[in-house]
Amino acid sequence: MRLSSILTCMTGIGHKRSWRWRCPTLAALAVLLACSGGCGGQAESPGVVTVWAHAGRAVERHTLEQQVAAYNARSRTDRVKLTFIPEGSYNGQVQAAALAGDLPDVLEFDGPYLYTYVWQGRLRPLDGLLPETLRDDLLPSIIAQGTYRGHLYSVGTFDSGLGLWGDRRALQQAGVRIPKGPADAWTSSEFDNVLAALAARDPDGAVLDLKLNYPNEWFTYAFSPLIESAGGDLIDRNSYRTAEGVLNGPAAVRVMRRIHDWFRSGYVDPNLDDAAFVQRRVALAWGGHWNYPRYHKALGKDLVLLPLPRFGPRMVTGEGSWSWGITRRCRRPEEAARFLKYLLQADQVLATSEANGGVPATRAAIARSPLYGAHGPLRLFAEQLREGYAVPRPRTPAYPTISAAFAQAFRAVRNGVAPKRALDRAVQMIDRDIRDNHGYPDVAVTGGR
Amino acid sequence: MGRTQRGGALMRESRAAWLFCTPAALGLLIFIVVPFLLAVAMSFTSLRLGSPLPLEWVGLRQYGRIFSDPAFLQALANNLIFALTVVPVQTALALGLALLLNQRLRAMAVFRTLFFMPVVFPLSLVAVVWVLIYAPGPNGMLNAALSALTFGAWQARDFLHDAHLALPAIMLTSIWQGAGFQMVVLLAGLQAIPGELYEAARVDGAGPWQRFWHVTLPQLRNPLVFVVIVTSILSFRVFDQVRIMTHGGPHDASTTVIYEAVQAAFDRAQVARGAAMSVVFFLVVVLITLVQRRLLRQEREVA
Amino acid sequence: MNAETRQRRNGTPPVLGGRWHMRAFSYLFVFASAALFVAPILFMLVGSLKPDARVLAEAGGWHAFWPGSGASGQNYTDVFHRVPFARYLLNSLWINGLIVALGLPVNAFAGYALARLRWRGRELALAAVLAILVIPFEAIAVPLFYELTALGMRDSYTVQVVPFIANPLSIYLFYSFFLGLPRELEEAARVDGAGVLRTFLTIVVPNAKAAFASVTIVTFLFYWGMYLWPLLVTGGPSVRPLPLGIATFYTLPPLQWGDILAFGMMMVAPVLVVFVIFQRWFVRGVAATGLKG
Repeated sequence: MRLSSILTCMTGIGHKRSWRWRCPTLAALAVLLACSGGCGGQAESPGVVTVWAHAGRAVERHTLEQQVAAYNARSRTDRVKLTFIPEGSYNGQVQAAALAGDLPDVLEFDGPYLYTYVWQGRLRPLDGLLPETLRDDLLPSIIAQGTYRGHLYSVGTFDSGLGLWGDRRALQQAGVRIPKGPADAWTSSEFDNVLAALAARDPDGAVLDLKLNYPNEWFTYAFSPLIESAGGDLIDRNSYRTAEGVLNGPAAVRVMRRIHDWFRSGYVDPNLDDAAFVQRRVALAWGGHWNYPRYHKALGKDLVLLPLPRFGPRMVTGEGSWSWGITRRCRRPEEAARFLKYLLQADQVLATSEANGGVPATRAAIARSPLYGAHGPLRLFAEQLREGYAVPRPRTPAYPTISAAFAQAFRAVRNGVAPKRALDRAVQMIDRDIRDNHGYPDVAVTGGR
Repeated sequence: MGRTQRGGALMRESRAAWLFCTPAALGLLIFIVVPFLLAVAMSFTSLRLGSPLPLEWVGLRQYGRIFSDPAFLQALANNLIFALTVVPVQTALALGLALLLNQRLRAMAVFRTLFFMPVVFPLSLVAVVWVLIYAPGPNGMLNAALSALTFGAWQARDFLHDAHLALPAIMLTSIWQGAGFQMVVLLAGLQAIPGELYEAARVDGAGPWQRFWHVTLPQLRNPLVFVVIVTSILSFRVFDQVRIMTHGGPHDASTTVIYEAVQAAFDRAQVARGAAMSVVFFLVVVLITLVQRRLLRQEREVA
Repeated sequence: MNAETRQRRNGTPPVLGGRWHMRAFSYLFVFASAALFVAPILFMLVGSLKPDARVLAEAGGWHAFWPGSGASGQNYTDVFHRVPFARYLLNSLWINGLIVALGLPVNAFAGYALARLRWRGRELALAAVLAILVIPFEAIAVPLFYELTALGMRDSYTVQVVPFIANPLSIYLFYSFFLGLPRELEEAARVDGAGVLRTFLTIVVPNAKAAFASVTIVTFLFYWGMYLWPLLVTGGPSVRPLPLGIATFYTLPPLQWGDILAFGMMMVAPVLVVFVIFQRWFVRGVAATGLKG
C-alpha cells in the first residue's frame, strides 16, 4: 500500500495511463523498485501523536520539550512524541520523509512552504478540527498565511515582526525624525537622507545592518515588502502564473536600485559577526522580533523600534514564521488537533513567545503579553500584523523557487550586478519553473478527508 | 601434462578472481552504478522531488537547458580553473613540505601531525571558520594579517564578494585543507627512496639540486602520479566551500558544477536537471582522467 | 629493512646539505608554514574555550589565538547539555567502524584480484573501478535514496553503512599496494601447493598491514563528516551521526560559536587519535600504495 504511494510520488505512475510507452526506462526503474518489496514507515503504538519541530535555539527547544512533557503528564490517553529536526535543509528532510512515507502526524514547517506541501498532498485541512472561537482569536496574519485554496491548513503559535531597530542616541545626534508608528514610516527619499546624515557622523560610513549574514529565506522575507510597498511584487498574485513585469517591473527595479545604492555608498555593514548593531557600529538594523532580547540588553533605553521605510503610499512589512500542520498520514487528526489546541492556549502561547520573542498568535495572549500589550516595547509588531500592514509571502507551490530566485538576485545586486539584469534572471527562473509544472494545477486531493 | 596443469591453475585463479570480486562488484553495482544509471534515466525526464504531476519524458531538453544556462557554463569553466590551479599548487606545496619534513630534524613527527591536522576537520566546519578568516574590513583576520605584514600598505578587501578573489579564496581554503594528505603520501614516497642512490649521486659529484632532479623526482614519480590523479578527481567535487563561503557568487564567479547540481536538485526540487548536470560532470571528469592517465603513462614510458 | 632504518644508516639528510645554516633555514621554514597551517585550528581551539560573543569579536587580532581570562570548558559541558552528544558520537563510531570493518575484506579481495590474479575482464574491471571513482556522491544521492527507500532501509544503521562498504577508492588503494608487493613470496607459497585463498590470507594479508591501516584511516576520514546522506535517510537522533548533531547549532544568527567550535573539536578528536596511533603505519602504507600509482 505504502510502496505504491512511494512509486506514485516518485514517478507519477498512476496519474497517467500512457506512461508505459513514454518512458521504458522508468518502467524498468519501477519494476526494480516494485520487486524490492518491504516498506519503511513508523509503526507507532496507538495513541501516540508523532511531532516534528525545528531545532531552534536551546531555550526554544527547552520550552517546547517542557510543553510536551506537561501535555503528556496532563492527559491519561494522549501521548506526544517530539523529534527535533535541524533547521538547515529542513524542507529537504521533510521531502525525504514524505517520499518514504515517514512523515509524522504533526509537522512544523516554515510558513510559506505550506502551499508546496498542500499541493503535494502532504497536509490535511484543519476544517472542523479547531473551534471557531479559537480561529476568531488568531491574528489575521496567521489565518492569511495558513489558508490555501479556501481551506485553513496551518496555525502558528506565534507570528513574526519585521522592522527597523534604531539607536535613538545616534538618530537624535544626526537630527533625524523618529517615526511613531506604521502610518508614520519614513518615505524612501527620507530614508536616504537619514542614511546620509548618519553616515556623515559615522567613522567608517557604514550605518545600516541588513543582516547579510542570514540565510537565503531572510532576503525574500525582509526585502520583498519594499517592492510590494512600491507597487511591485514577487509574482502576479492574480494568476500566480508569471513574475514578468511584476518582479522586474519598474517598481521592483526602482527598489533594488535603491538597495544597490546603499551598498555602493558603503552604508551597509556586512555584519559577519552579527554584532554590528549591539556594538553600535551601525545606527539602524533591519531585523525582527527575535533580535529584541539581545538588542535591548545592549542598548537599553536607546533602543527604538521603527517601521520599515515606505516606497509607495503605504508601508508594507513581512509576516509569517514556523507553523503547525497535520499530515495526511495522521490517522487520528482529532488527537493531533488537541495538541495544537493546547499549544494555542494563552499560557502556552505566552511561554512560546517568551522563549523566542515572537508575536503571540492570539489576541488573548497579546493582551497579556508584557512585550506586545498596549504599552509594550514591541507593540509596533502586533499593530502591523493586526492592521493589515503585513503581506504574506506568495501563496503558491512555486514559492521555494521564487524565494531562491529572489535571494540570488539580492546577492547579485549586493555584488554589484545591475538590478534590472538580476531581476530579469530571477523572473526567467520563476516563470520557467511555473511553466515546467504546468502552472501548478490542482492535482493532489486538497479537499477534506 | 604441464600444459593442462597450468590450464587448471589458470581456471582456479579465474574462478577465485570472480569470487574475490563478487562482494565488491555487487556493492558498487547496487549502490553506485545502478543509482547512476537511474540518474542518467532521470535526466531525460521532468522528474521533480515530490511533485504530484505525471512524469514526462522530455528527451534532451534538460541538457539543452543546462548548456544554455550561463551559470552552468561558468561552473564548468570554474571547475577547470580550480583543478588547473589547485592540483599543481597543492602538489608543489605538499612536495615542498614533504622534502622539509624528510630531513632529520627534531620533532618531525609532531610537524607531520600538524600539517596533517586540517585534513581531519570536516569541510563544512572548515568553511565556516574560513568565512571568519576572510572577513572584510581592516579587522578581518586575513586583512589584519596582510596589513601588518605590509606595514599598513594593504587595503582591506572583501575577499568572498570580490569577483576576482572569491574563487582564489576558495582555492586557498581547499589547498590548506588538502595539502596535508598529499604531503603524507609524498613523504612516505621519499622515505622509500634508498639512501644508496643519494650516496652514489654524491660520489658522482652531484650537488643538492642535481640530486633532487636526478634522484628524488624520478624516484618519486609513481607517488606523484597517484597524488595528481586522485587530487584531480577530488578537486572536481568542490562543493561545501562554495555552499558555505560564497553561494557561487559574486555573479557566478565561484560556482561549480556540483554546487549548481545540488542547488537544482535540493533547493529547487529539479531532480532531473540536477541529474543532467551530474551526467555531464561525469563525462567531463572521465575524459580528463583518461587524458591524464595517458599523458602520465607516456612519461613513464619515456622515463 | 624498512625505509626509516635505511635512512638512518644513510646518516645525512637526503635532500638538503647538512650545513648549519641550511638546517636553521629548514627549521625556520617548517615553523613558519606550520604556523600558517595551524593558525585556523588554533583559532577554533581557543574559540571553543571562550564565551560565544568573544569568539567573533576577537577574531581580528592576537586575541583570536589566546583565550585570555575567562577561558573555560563551559562550552564543552553545554554541548552535552544541549544535544545528545554521546548518542551522536556512539552512532558515528558504530557507523564508521562497521563501514571500515566490513569494507576492508571486501575491498582487499577485489584489489588483490585486480592486481595479481589472471582472469578475463580484469582490465575492464580496473577501468570500471576508476570510472566509478569519478562519480561524486551528490550525483547519486537522490536515486540512491529512492532505491533504498523502496528497499525499506530508511532510518537505520544499515542504510548508513551498507551502501558504503564497497568503495572504489579503497579498491584502488589496495590494488596499488598489492602491485608493489614482491611476487616471490606468493610464488613460493603456490609452489608449496597453497590455493589462491590461502596464499592471500596467510602470505599477502600479513605483509599488507600497512595497506589495511591506510585504508582504515582514509575511509574513516571520508565518512566521518558525511552530512547529506544521513540527512536524507534518518529522522530523529536515535541513529543520526555527529555531522547532523553539529547542524543543530546552525540556527538563525547569532550563532553559538563557542558551542559549535567545542562540538567541532570533540568531533575531530577521535579521528585525530586514530591518525596519531596509526600514522607510522599510514606513512609506510601510503608509500607502498603510491609506488605503482
